[in-house]
Amino acid sequence: MYSIALKMLIGDRGKYLGIIMGLTFASLLITQQSSIFTGLMTRTYGAITDLSQPDIWVMDPKVQFIDDIKPLQDTELFRIRSVEGVEWAVPLYKGLLKARLEDGNYQICNVFGLDDATLIGGPPYMIEGKLSDLRQQDAVIVNDVGARTRLAKPPKVPGAKPEPLKIGDILEINDRRAVVVGICRVSRTFQSQPVIFTTYSRATTFAPKERKLLSFVLVKAKQGENLKDLSARIRERTDLAAYTAQEFKDLTYNYFMKNTGIPINFGIAVGLGFFIGTAIAGQTFYNFTLENIRYFGTLKAMGATNGVLLRMILLQALVVGALGYGLGVGGASLFGYLLGGTELAFRLTKDLLMFSGAAICLIIVLSALISIRKVMKLEPAIVFKA
Amino acid sequence: MDAIEDQIAVFCKSVTKSYVTGPTKVMALRGVDLEVRTGELIMLVGPSGCGKTTLISVVAGILDHDDGECLVFKQDLRGMGQTKKTRYRGQNVGFVFQAYNLLPTLTALENVSVPLLILKVPRSEAQSRARALLVQVGLEDRLYALPAQLSGGQQQRVAIARALIHGPKLIVCDEPTSALDAETGQRVMEVLRNAALSSERALIIVTHDNRIFNFADRIARMEDGRIVSVESQVAH
Repeated sequence: MYSIALKMLIGDRGKYLGIIMGLTFASLLITQQSSIFTGLMTRTYGAITDLSQPDIWVMDPKVQFIDDIKPLQDTELFRIRSVEGVEWAVPLYKGLLKARLEDGNYQICNVFGLDDATLIGGPPYMIEGKLSDLRQQDAVIVNDVGARTRLAKPPKVPGAKPEPLKIGDILEINDRRAVVVGICRVSRTFQSQPVIFTTYSRATTFAPKERKLLSFVLVKAKQGENLKDLSARIRERTDLAAYTAQEFKDLTYNYFMKNTGIPINFGIAVGLGFFIGTAIAGQTFYNFTLENIRYFGTLKAMGATNGVLLRMILLQALVVGALGYGLGVGGASLFGYLLGGTELAFRLTKDLLMFSGAAICLIIVLSALISIRKVMKLEPAIVFKA
Repeated sequence: MDAIEDQIAVFCKSVTKSYVTGPTKVMALRGVDLEVRTGELIMLVGPSGCGKTTLISVVAGILDHDDGECLVFKQDLRGMGQTKKTRYRGQNVGFVFQAYNLLPTLTALENVSVPLLILKVPRSEAQSRARALLVQVGLEDRLYALPAQLSGGQQQRVAIARALIHGPKLIVCDEPTSALDAETGQRVMEVLRNAALSSERALIIVTHDNRIFNFADRIARMEDGRIVSVESQVAH
């Protein structure tokens, strides 16, 4: 009977393709928009992900997310180092500073100032140069995307492509000389600004004069130390906020979720995909059932029980659902793959695949339910109607 | 006495059936008495709306009657649950419809196999039996044709093969020749009579088509929800 169900489905090619198109569209939109949303949200805490060495981030208690800098006094660093269970604690400067480009334009950059002695907090991957080159005079390391795009030098020939920033090139950061000594790769940031690494002391000379310039203190716990306990102890002793890396990511993520329009905007797109998919697939599937109602009636008259018909309809729904889901997810993956090297934030995770799979399941269940209800209530006497 | 009782395929006594549509109650059957014996081809004739289709629906276990007694091979279908009744139909009743009701996306061979697949007969066996039956009704060269590729007469022969394949004890036909020209109608009736009728099986045919009356053993005339006369036909 299952082969009959499939032949009934595939035989009506127009409707078959219509249902699959509806589900593909829904799957594509749900997966693609969710992936962009996840990509964007991942970027909000990209810097925390990149700085993998510290166990705990210490900051002003009023900090709401990673870019919400509320500087501390430098002396806080020593207080934190004195807390029991701290292996080491280093300063980190993080700020948005203006870099003057060769053509006279200004570009806001995300500047990280690393502990002068240890350079802890540096980029996760160096493409050119070494992290230790930061010890040279006026040295900075620039991320590859920034070097290629927003910090790129004007072309020598009019109409040509801008030239990427290279080792040895010079920038002006807040009227201070900065020499590029390395090109690194980092996670893209939410605002996609170029990322510049330098030493803490040099960063504080780049930064506008303020009484307090210490953005974060990065803490490594002693081996075997419970991170939650150590965070609590730091909070208690210093009255500062102390979060594990995951807690700080969550704090940042939740800030963007609660205080920006991103979830609503993407939620609307995902919801729209769901409802349009349900409407198209549900309507077409229902029409398909209606057009076949005489044949379902015939099968019922010939002895097919409601259970058999139910399974036939569920199989039909499952087949179109699987095809629509596969095509939609494939399309979304292709989209992400083709635009992988661009500014597009796209992150397709296993959870998202499951999420869109669940959404498509829900759509086909809703679509099938309407048809199932019709067939279950169908009087086989319909077969005698001309 | 037992031998005569054994021959009774359908026994209806004072069968009534009404339909309620909104505030209106329509009496479709107003006390029908009918006996159909095995090996017999009986035709139900009468004007539209006289209750012919309702009667075969009751006899075939598609509709429940309201009152009276209706036994099909000594079984009262009204007392059965829906699922049990559906299974009963699947095993014991064959249907031939006016509009053939062949599944348009299945070939003739697959259409004829359907009743066996419903009875969970393996596909290969179902198709082998379907092939034999299609050969019997003269469609050996149209096994893989879709219904849309068959003429009306060929489609009705496929429908007859489908009604016979699972060896039902009762076959009900609703206007089997009304969509066919006279010659094709005669040929279809010959197929129906030759292939379907046997000493263990009864055929009930609802028809308006007086050109095929000569195929009936008896003709029951219905009017206004009742059988008003039953005439025996001369032997064929």
